[in-house]
Amino acid sequence: MSRAPHAPLFIREMRLPTRFSLYILVCLFLLGMDARYATLNSVRSGLNAIIHPVQIALAQPWEWLLGMGGFFVAHGELASENNRLKRQQELLAASLGDRIAIEAENTQLRALMALPPRPGFTLLPGEIIEASTDPFTRKVIINRGSEHGIAAGWPVVDANGLVGQITRVYPWSAEVSLLTDRNQGAPVQNMRNGLRIIVSGQGSDNFLEVRFLDMHADLQPGDLLYTSGIDGIYPAGIPVARVVNTDPPHHTPFARALCQPLGGVGRYRHMAILVPTAPPAGVEKHLDAASMKKSK
Amino acid sequence: MNTRPLLPQGAELVHPPTRKKVYISLLLAFSFTLLPWMEQIRWLVPDFTLMALLYWNIRSPRIASLSAAFSLGLLTDVARGVVFGLNALAYCIATFIVLLLQRRLEGFDVPRQSLQLSPILIGKEMLVLALGLAMGRGDADWRWLAAGIVAALLWPLFAWLVDRLTSQAPATRQTPL
Repeated sequence: MSRAPHAPLFIREMRLPTRFSLYILVCLFLLGMDARYATLNSVRSGLNAIIHPVQIALAQPWEWLLGMGGFFVAHGELASENNRLKRQQELLAASLGDRIAIEAENTQLRALMALPPRPGFTLLPGEIIEASTDPFTRKVIINRGSEHGIAAGWPVVDANGLVGQITRVYPWSAEVSLLTDRNQGAPVQNMRNGLRIIVSGQGSDNFLEVRFLDMHADLQPGDLLYTSGIDGIYPAGIPVARVVNTDPPHHTPFARALCQPLGGVGRYRHMAILVPTAPPAGVEKHLDAASMKKSK
Repeated sequence: MNTRPLLPQGAELVHPPTRKKVYISLLLAFSFTLLPWMEQIRWLVPDFTLMALLYWNIRSPRIASLSAAFSLGLLTDVARGVVFGLNALAYCIATFIVLLLQRRLEGFDVPRQSLQLSPILIGKEMLVLALGLAMGRGDADWRWLAAGIVAALLWPLFAWLVDRLTSQAPATRQTPL
């Protein structure tokens, strides 16, 4: 058998236009299927399991180079940074003590009022391994996947605030839709007056917007927006955004507000996934118990 | 003066590219797109997979044809995290056009080839953006068209490199005159 393919003597295959139209039909079918239904997710994660190790291996030399660069840092720089971090650590420890006290008080008060306890969360650190190469979305890939116990829907935060939400889970990696993605939204509460609104991404890197704001809503530039926790996905009290300006309505019954995300959305390499400690089923049971108590 | 032509000629033409060479170079080009490119220049990075596909479709259209375009397109879809079939569609269309024009493109020298291919390379990026717009995925970031222009500009270098790497038979490697 010759290794080099020659033009066969008798052509026994479909002609090019026929083959082309077949492939195009398959492509269009796949496009429709994937846009509408979630049936192809297993195929996608299977293919991703093949590509992911290659990607990691290709990124390794860069990591080593960066590591080498980090090795040659001046001693003084390290010492000063260490000092700064220690001070920060003390401050954080102090505020954590405060927080624990307040949390205990809160649990007691909630118990008194027969409200279900707030769901608890633990932090699972993750690192961005790749930014999405799709011009339409603001997504990143992190190095935690279903093997680490991740599930889609969990919130992702960094030191300063909410970053986004896990939207697709692969075996060793997961896709995080950033808050700035056009299809992402977060229910928030204005810290100043408790006004509840929804902040959505705009598709731009630096701004979020409040799309359908009541004309008379009390929202001012400088207001801080924190998650309200009523959606059952994001726990309450995570900083989300600061209002930059508000637009009075033009030709629509609604006003619009422009906000700036507080978390380093797409700026830092490290982020943390909020892993719910209380299973949702338990919360529901508690809710049932509480409502039964009320009905009695 | 060294007047070695860019395209292999003479005895070298006896050794056409083997399937192995073609597939390995296609996978290499695909893994080039997987490199951790910096986010600031991500929109400038050309689609190496498409360039390699077009190259092989011009040079040996019997090996890398629509099936290779389709499967590499699906891999690219997964790697980029976009809707299934988007890049596969773009690659299939580009391959089809190149296969139709193959006899003509073969005859041109490399710079002119790059001029002839530039509408295809830019058109692919435009198709991806237009399909995204059509599927209601938000405003298109037209900067990404630059990847197509960069690909057309890099074509001579790319073709030269792949020519040099793959055109010689390993057993009878000749020293240049």
